[in-house]
Amino acid sequence: MNETMLDTGCGPRPARRTGYLRRHEIGPGLALGGVLVLAIVLITLAAPFLAPADPYAPNLMSVRQPPSAEYLFGTDAVGRDLLSRILYGAQISLIVAGLGMLGSLTFGTLMGMLRGIGPRWVGPIVDRMIDIQLAFPYVLLAIAITSAVRPSVPVLIVLMVLSGWAGAARVVRAIALQESGKDYVKAAQIIGASRLRIAVFHVFPSVWPSLAVLAAMQTAAMIVFESTLSFLGMGVQPPTPSWGGIMLEGKNYITTSWWLTLLPGLAIMLTSLSLVLIGDGLDLRAKRLRQRAAQT
Amino acid sequence: MRRYLILRILQSLIIVAAITVTVFVVLRLSAGDPARLRAPVFASPDVIDQYRRDFGTDQTILEQLTRFLWGAVRGDLGTSFRFQEPVMDLVLVALPRTLALAGCALGLALSVTIILGSLAALRPNSIWSVLATVIATIGQSAPVFWTGVLMVLFFSVRLDWLPSGGFTGVSSLVLPAVAVALAIIPTQVRILRSSMSAVLKEEYIRTAHAFGLSERRITFFYALKNASLPLLTVIGVDIGYLLGGVIVAEVVFAFPGIGELALVALNARDYPLVQGITIVTASIFVIVNLLIDLAYSRIDPRIRMERT
Repeated sequence: MNETMLDTGCGPRPARRTGYLRRHEIGPGLALGGVLVLAIVLITLAAPFLAPADPYAPNLMSVRQPPSAEYLFGTDAVGRDLLSRILYGAQISLIVAGLGMLGSLTFGTLMGMLRGIGPRWVGPIVDRMIDIQLAFPYVLLAIAITSAVRPSVPVLIVLMVLSGWAGAARVVRAIALQESGKDYVKAAQIIGASRLRIAVFHVFPSVWPSLAVLAAMQTAAMIVFESTLSFLGMGVQPPTPSWGGIMLEGKNYITTSWWLTLLPGLAIMLTSLSLVLIGDGLDLRAKRLRQRAAQT
Repeated sequence: MRRYLILRILQSLIIVAAITVTVFVVLRLSAGDPARLRAPVFASPDVIDQYRRDFGTDQTILEQLTRFLWGAVRGDLGTSFRFQEPVMDLVLVALPRTLALAGCALGLALSVTIILGSLAALRPNSIWSVLATVIATIGQSAPVFWTGVLMVLFFSVRLDWLPSGGFTGVSSLVLPAVAVALAIIPTQVRILRSSMSAVLKEEYIRTAHAFGLSERRITFFYALKNASLPLLTVIGVDIGYLLGGVIVAEVVFAFPGIGELALVALNARDYPLVQGITIVTASIFVIVNLLIDLAYSRIDPRIRMERT
């Protein structure tokens, strides 16, 4: 009450934002995505405690049982509990996507910064590298690589990095180029700051918000990519459970046992959906915060 | 303009050459000895040597590369281990089908994008805007193979409207094209919506309104032309993503295109075929990128001016 009276006394002011979420511009999508991702990560970490059965133990007496009270998600072609396999599959998916995202963002940021701030002669080289990488169909790249090396988790992570870095580099390059033309960077150059120092202390803070959006979006894309590769038989090898691999095994029974393809697909979609919500939410948040900064 | 054209074409040729050499060298170095893989298990050294001579792997890698490049220039990409046919012939049979699928998917996606993206930008608080957001968010998180499998389950198994796979005519294109389109629509809708809402605020749009032109004409004729520039870039850049989706869809729907062939080649350890497919597709991508770059300068005269 007191505050509003003071406000009117000070003339027109932008509406005071109330509540933690409002103040920090956390929209409903971002909040929902955050809660979902947190829940998924917790469930994944707790998979050994939550899984009702051993994900590797076949039971030939109960093959392809539909979802029931005993088997919440049903069982697969050799009678393994589908819920347990999906829970354990989440671990592989999140590890591959998470590490892949970290690698891809690190490499992508380095290359983008190199292009934006680095010496002039590296420019065309980095540009062409990004072009080639983006032009190359990622599934074909995976086929070419897995035809040479046996697929495994480290190989998958390398594939994730290869498929993602150029996208990140493109975004970072655009920001770095834009920032490097601004006065504060020139001022830093004049007082003799090194390129590395400018890149790390002056330009990187501008890259950071976009990097957070990229991190969410790339993790989502990599979860889809990993499951795609596993579905094509180029990813995690059986009997290790992975979401794409479970669907590959279930594909043959699609007409009779719908749960073998529908449920792991839902898991993939829910996970990447909540990550996309976070990405979109962060993007919107950055825009709103910029607007707010421009207003004051 | 001509100088720019020549420069770009030269650049593209260098990229194709670089990809060819890389793919060849990497596969040769990592693939092991194809003669040992293909020869019978208890073959004598003489027989294995004979296989080596047949494959040409008895020579040094530099000689092999020169021979391969010389062949590639004349359209000879070697012989497939699995099919015992020239790689080029196999690729030429599969490629048109893949391109047809990719074309249909792209066309479908673009039509949906242009209508949905424009409407969403025009009426930010309408049902169209909500629909665009929902499609952009869900479409981005649903894997192509999953939507594909679901569609097979529903349209082929339940309703029996469309073939579930194979290649039996135009109807075989429908489900895979829809599946791929669903995967590429989200990015396109996002881009078009944001560029469209930016363009709609421009002064020349207000002028058009002042002249009393109809809203439909302004949106789909005046605004769309400028708003589609970023969209064109995205299509050019994400063309690898499009073909990635097409390859996955081909496998799901057993559609006999490049992707299916590549997977068969992979499972058969058919290196010449994998290599040939990779090189041909990569070259197509470089060409498409070149064409999009040129189309870009057609649409926007400012770029044309800048580059001449």
